[in-house]
Amino acid sequence: MVATANAYLTGFGRYLPGAPVDNDGIAARLGGDDAVTERIRRRILDANGIRQRHYALDEHGEATELNEELAVKALRAAFADRGIDASDIRMLACATTMGDVLVPGFASMVHGRLGGGPMQLLSAAGVCASSLAALDAAVSKIRLGDHPRAAVVGSELASRSLRQRRYDGIRAGMDSHFLRWMLSDGAGAVVVEFQPHPAKPSLRVDWVRHVSLAHEHDVCMRAGMTGAEPAVGGTWQDVGIAEADAAGMFLLRQDVSMLDDLADAGIEQFEELVDIGLVDVRHLDHVVCHYSTNMFRDVAFEALRRRIPTLDTDRWFSNLETRGNTGAASIFIALEEAWHAGRFAPGETVLLAVPESGRFSFAFAHLTVVAPPDQQGATT
Amino acid sequence: MSTTSTSTASADATPTGAETLFERLADVWVELEERLDEVPILRRLADGTVTIDDYRRLLFNLRQQVVDGSPWISRAASSFDIDHFELRAAAIRHAEEEHRDYLMLERDYVAIGGSLDELRSGRKNIGSEALSGYMFHYADQANPVGLLGAMFIIEGLGAKRAAGWAARFQEVLGLADSQVHFMRYHQDADAQHTGNLEAILTSGMIDDAAAGEIVRCAQVVARLYALQLEELDR
Repeated sequence: MVATANAYLTGFGRYLPGAPVDNDGIAARLGGDDAVTERIRRRILDANGIRQRHYALDEHGEATELNEELAVKALRAAFADRGIDASDIRMLACATTMGDVLVPGFASMVHGRLGGGPMQLLSAAGVCASSLAALDAAVSKIRLGDHPRAAVVGSELASRSLRQRRYDGIRAGMDSHFLRWMLSDGAGAVVVEFQPHPAKPSLRVDWVRHVSLAHEHDVCMRAGMTGAEPAVGGTWQDVGIAEADAAGMFLLRQDVSMLDDLADAGIEQFEELVDIGLVDVRHLDHVVCHYSTNMFRDVAFEALRRRIPTLDTDRWFSNLETRGNTGAASIFIALEEAWHAGRFAPGETVLLAVPESGRFSFAFAHLTVVAPPDQQGATT
Repeated sequence: MSTTSTSTASADATPTGAETLFERLADVWVELEERLDEVPILRRLADGTVTIDDYRRLLFNLRQQVVDGSPWISRAASSFDIDHFELRAAAIRHAEEEHRDYLMLERDYVAIGGSLDELRSGRKNIGSEALSGYMFHYADQANPVGLLGAMFIIEGLGAKRAAGWAARFQEVLGLADSQVHFMRYHQDADAQHTGNLEAILTSGMIDDAAAGEIVRCAQVVARLYALQLEELDR
């Protein structure tokens, strides 16, 4: 029998660039102030329910920071929360949809800027659920006892590619507008350790589960390809850059007609967690759920309440409306806010849920709040 | 095991035969176990109040003496003349087997968040100084047969106690196997060494004078090893 250690989240940080931008401030940064675009934007904002968000863009739409800088600032906030610095970390797992550069990997760039000592790196690619894929990797290495302390960061700087200059001269349908007025920038980070925080409560990671259903679903969210079907000759790397640009391949697109299927599949995944006993609905106290738009809030909430009749809005947390949809960063930004707001008490359990539309991935993590060791029984 | 007189085991006695030597060593062992029960860190370990910092300190303190293990055995090997060829051969083999052990301990220390630089720049505690000094001094003597008593204690701790300590640290602190390599490894490795030791002690090459030296050395090493555990960081 091989014994493993536990993994605890002991520090939480976030970084949201610049001042919050309300719905009237978007056009100054992203452009698109013609009448048609204006109308589409209003409609999408009404549906997604986001009231404010942050962009690493100034009031004229010029970039102010790199994605790797957002990641490093969230990491430093998490380290400060835990009272450590970068040299205490032996592994760094980074999740982002698109780094600043094509090569090298995003985690290498974040480590280079962060400093500290030698460490293991992981760049988890993907979209929203890459956040928990990165967490899973760090938690696994901590549990194996390979590292005493790791950091995980999810960060996004989508706004650069949502500006008008990207859209000029390109036929952009609903599939690109939907994301354009939904996504924004930010980063969230956690510290993972094999021991709980010595003086404050921690979140023990009970399990992380990541499931892809790409084998039975087409591409839903994409960039760099002409259509939803991958084909030789049909990617941005096959054709000239100008040709790829003119074909709109650099726009981030989402097939919104598939989103109902995505919601259904996500609910099925949750039902499975309950059916196989990973979630005990009698002992699930909090749900922190990532969703892209408020349209899915009620769908998800009602579905969970079918299995957890006692679930009420006090135990359901999302900060989509005030922090925006920050993709791979969002679950950590939400967890940080819920944690520091004191929503969780020792002994309570927390489910993190992150559906990813990309090609139908679903990630969950189950956490338990534990008191500091000196406030526990001796042999826990 | 028979433990007729735990407090009067003496190097001055003139028993005969390997069986009697084993009885006398068993007495030393029992006395050591009683003393270990009173060592603060081992008491906390038994009580379940031990902390991760205790485990880190224990590794830190052990490491400073463990790095000397293979050197004193090597020195002892070179002190055996040709009439003690078997003991020299055994010592050479043993030194070779042990001389990378401290690396395992160092990996455990790093795996629980310790700094390798700090570990390697550490100094011996008061008990480790005494133990290490005694071992090197003894190993310098011509034909230091008494060191078999030291082996009996040190290998016995590895074979009989270290794995239990490791399991208890894991249980109390939630440690992974890869954070307690050093203590777990010694259960098997030192059980083999104690088997080799028993073969030597029963081989007929130990006369009464040698037996007296072995028991005396075991008594001193048992006391100094416990002292090393009592004097953590001092």
